Amino acid sequence: MAAKRVYEVMYIGAPETADEDITKLNEAIQQLVEKEGGTVVKTEEMGRRKLAYPIQKKTEGHYTLFEIEGSGQEIAELERRFRVNDAVIRFITVRVDEERKTAAKLTAKRENRQGRRRDASSNFNNNQKDEAQDNQ
Amino acid sequence: MADNKERNDDVIADLNNIDLGNVSELKNERMPRRFQRRRQSQFVPDYIDWKDVDFLKRFTPERGKVLPRRISQISAKDQRRVAKAIKRARSMALIPFVTD
Repeated sequence: MAAKRVYEVMYIGAPETADEDITKLNEAIQQLVEKEGGTVVKTEEMGRRKLAYPIQKKTEGHYTLFEIEGSGQEIAELERRFRVNDAVIRFITVRVDEERKTAAKLTAKRENRQGRRRDASSNFNNNQKDEAQDNQ
Repeated sequence: MADNKERNDDVIADLNNIDLGNVSELKNERMPRRFQRRRQSQFVPDYIDWKDVDFLKRFTPERGKVLPRRISQISAKDQRRVAKAIKRARSMALIPFVTD
């Protein structure tokens, strides 16, 4: 089996759809993803937001963000549904697992280096504090 | 007559002084103007989140264009990552393409 991939999927719902309908749609998306063999790691309703520029003559939208883990098959199906659905005015899928991995590696490297440096400097500071107390 | 000559000498001396001053001023004007080209190099996190509008705004001044690398002073690698994040955020209407 190929390794699981992690995607961030965000879509903008049309402003005239009711909040309940958006919640319903989100639930439907979750079911769809699970049916296709993926898992929804996180669902974040970002609520109504002003668009930075008008899309389809709309100036507002319901933003929702998903984090989906899977093979990529569910993403294809999800995107197809997004395209058909009129309530979705824009969507984006970003694969994040690889970038996160390299970022984690970088962070680990930096912390390793800084940890060593901090140890040295904290020792120095402690010594100074000790001396200050001695002087008192 | 003698008085006049002296006066002329004075005038010439004055002219010389003035000229010298002007020349140096002109030179200054011709010098390439160096505005603040560089910004202090920004800290770029390991993971650039394309949803982090506040962070991306720092690289898109008033007009909404991507801040060039010669000004942003970040590494080429980071600049590419930032640019990509900006483009993703733009396509989701999180930040504008252009502001007039």
